[in-house]
Amino acid sequence: MRTKKWLQTGLAVVMASALLVVGCSNGNSGEKNSASGGENSEVSTEPVTFTYFGFGANKDTMASDTTIGKKLQEQTGVDWKMEYVVGDGSTKSGVMIAGGDYPDVISPVGELAKLLDAGAYIPLNDLIEKYGPNIKRVYGDYMNKIKDEEGNIYILPFTANVNGYLSPPDPSSTFWMQRRVLKEFGYPEVKTLDQYFDLIEKYQAKYPKVDGKDTIGFATFAGTAGEFFTITNQPMHLAGYPNEGGVLVDMESHEAKLYQGTEDEKRWLAKLNEMNGKGLVDPETFTANKDQYLAKLTSGRVLGYVNYSWQINDATNNLRSAGNDDLRYVALPIVFDEGIKDAYVDPPSFVNNRGLGISVSAKDPVRIIKYFDNLLTDENQKLVEWGIEGETYTKNAEGRMVMSEEQLTNRNDNDFKRKFGFAYFDYEWPRYGDNSVYDDGNAHVPFNQPEVAAINYTDGDKTLLEKYNLKTFSDFYAEPVERPWYPAWSIEKEPGSPEQLFSQRAGDLQQKYYPRMVLAAPGQFEKVWSEYLAEYNKLDAKGYEEFMTNKIKDRIDGKW
Amino acid sequence: MGKTAVQLAKSNNTGTSRFKTFFKELSKQKMLMLMSLPFLLWVIIFKYLPLWGWTIAFQKFKPAKDLFDQKWVGWDNFKFLFQEQQFYRVLRNTLVMSSINLVLGFVTAIVLALLLNELRNVFFKRTVQTISYLPYFISWVVAANIVQMALAPEGIINVLLVKAQLIDHPILWLGEGKYFWGILGVTEVWKNVGWNTIIYLAAITSIDPSQYEAAEIDGASRLQRMFYITLPGIKPVIVLILIMNLGHILESGFEAQYLLGNGMNLDYSENLDIFVLKYGMQMNNFGLATAAGMFKTLVSFIFLIAANNIAKRMGESRLY
Repeated sequence: MRTKKWLQTGLAVVMASALLVVGCSNGNSGEKNSASGGENSEVSTEPVTFTYFGFGANKDTMASDTTIGKKLQEQTGVDWKMEYVVGDGSTKSGVMIAGGDYPDVISPVGELAKLLDAGAYIPLNDLIEKYGPNIKRVYGDYMNKIKDEEGNIYILPFTANVNGYLSPPDPSSTFWMQRRVLKEFGYPEVKTLDQYFDLIEKYQAKYPKVDGKDTIGFATFAGTAGEFFTITNQPMHLAGYPNEGGVLVDMESHEAKLYQGTEDEKRWLAKLNEMNGKGLVDPETFTANKDQYLAKLTSGRVLGYVNYSWQINDATNNLRSAGNDDLRYVALPIVFDEGIKDAYVDPPSFVNNRGLGISVSAKDPVRIIKYFDNLLTDENQKLVEWGIEGETYTKNAEGRMVMSEEQLTNRNDNDFKRKFGFAYFDYEWPRYGDNSVYDDGNAHVPFNQPEVAAINYTDGDKTLLEKYNLKTFSDFYAEPVERPWYPAWSIEKEPGSPEQLFSQRAGDLQQKYYPRMVLAAPGQFEKVWSEYLAEYNKLDAKGYEEFMTNKIKDRIDGKW
Repeated sequence: MGKTAVQLAKSNNTGTSRFKTFFKELSKQKMLMLMSLPFLLWVIIFKYLPLWGWTIAFQKFKPAKDLFDQKWVGWDNFKFLFQEQQFYRVLRNTLVMSSINLVLGFVTAIVLALLLNELRNVFFKRTVQTISYLPYFISWVVAANIVQMALAPEGIINVLLVKAQLIDHPILWLGEGKYFWGILGVTEVWKNVGWNTIIYLAAITSIDPSQYEAAEIDGASRLQRMFYITLPGIKPVIVLILIMNLGHILESGFEAQYLLGNGMNLDYSENLDIFVLKYGMQMNNFGLATAAGMFKTLVSFIFLIAANNIAKRMGESRLY
């Protein structure tokens, strides 16, 4: 009996002390981690695994499981555990900040301001100075744009163009039209919003069903809060402005004006309302989740939709792999009126709030910066965009990089891109901007290489271009106009600032009223619109416009 | 009016003797005390120490900064909260959805437990039970996807209703605010009913079988046995769980509303947690999030104590 009692007492004490130890050691280990960051200055090529977190959409992987990641590991000994956000990014970043526990490097996408505010990143200035000759070469011209007000560099952006500017042969607008619609009516010119919808209406009347299912006239994606901009950005493009994110910037006075609550917005919504009245707008526009939406796009039932191409890459690639050119879509430069010059092609720009930075939890910043530097050599940039010579591309007699049809099919295939690593390394890592050119004159991005773009065209593409008497898809569009501040959407708003509060409130209003306006009974639109306007006018739009105007003027003055 | 010396001595006396008996009792139960010590420590470390974080509600909190570097703003965060028009809408939604969940969850779980208890075929009973609690284990992301698919214009619900000629056109279920609460209630029941039933089934097993035998001999029907033996038998458990759930009255859940919510049902789907996420976490306004959390705790506290007192007055079993 006695021994049993002692056993019990002993157990109880052990448990209590174990709990205490756990409680204490937690605190300790946290401190140790942050203290050791930056102290280890020895650099080796010992195998090591760092952690990478991206706020973009992708699938988790080990870098060494991809061909590119394996190659880079051979060069540096560094492997990466790459993870991506699932669900809501701001929640994830909030949790990260609250825990103070960061991965080694973070690609913050929309969460940069918050992470900076929390002191999640280390300044890279000294590291670049000491270990980054290539980084200096790539970002040299942009130094004043990647430094914050105190002169610190926290992230390496993805859009630094090296060796000039090569404009892409296949830009895309946000308005897409199924090709069989154009074919049906003999490839007419479609320029205005009215023409666009008229065509859809006519086609729908002629072919109300496809394979036994109803044709969907027009669809767009506004089901999740995070991608509501898909529908709210359109008045901007229709009015002939590029994507500045909520404001129209006057070319002369450089004043930023919100278009929310203006005639432009009303015109767009009224048109959608009219189309909805005719049963042409997908009823699920505001309720479907992204999977449902993408499934709909690949089904071929949708005649027209609105989306940035990067939102729906998987769907367009799948449609392409399916091989039926009639069911594929073409992006058109749609504007409100004939007289408006479209601005769908981005002017040369530098986005300074998307990039990759090293966190304060990083165990070995020196090796990480060396990895980045190594990534930015010409050879490795070719590796991450073009792959391996003879395998994913070939060089012709003139030294031009080209692809065979099979190689091109692979380069377009989602699964292959993941397996090879293009899907991971060709963005969201320090890199040359999309419009860069190599020393030997080859384009950095394969699809910007005219030879590749030409092979990339399917028979359907070629017919389409022929019918419209164009050489490339970029010929659909007007030449971009230089806008030195572009893009205004990358202007960071401080967390918790009045500007941010305005954005949130205005966005909430749009989310609430857009569905009502679009789906309102035909006679009711005006009523809902004035309700919306009344609510909107309660917000401090003026203060927001002033803030943006000032920031834009700063940028023009070279203060990024 | 001071106490007289005698009174003082007396009270002192009783005090020390109480003290003594307390220690006597304590030493008698030292095994028990020792065993509860770790859990006491656990509660203090993990439940009381974090209360320190409530100070954030009074700051313009910047993460990763010292307490002394924080900017103190007094009641500003609470003022923002209570002055925000949306706050009252989300509060209403929270209370309504939480009540729906509470009532529906309760009724369905108890009814299912009673019905399961009446089943004689063990295999069938097990099967029903397993099927009913399986949804509990799938994540809300998957569950919400299933619900969205089922409720889509071409989803199974609309197809069935149209085929049965109950409606002419498919209904956009998630697009109508007024349907949202109902959808949510049904979804929660589907997901949780099996799990919630387990505790009642366990309580039912503790009822003395001889009572059933006696009732059977007296000629009580099945329904009567259910009403007069099983239900009163699990009444203490029911009351106890009700009290505990009332403590969570401002927690109507988060994932379901967040995943099923959209612009069209915003007015009905947005609850306190989503509001806090939008205006607190997403905007890095941790102070506001904490203030909302404090408000929630306070309300829960009031509900819990009130429910407990009512149970006490009515002579029912209670939490403490």
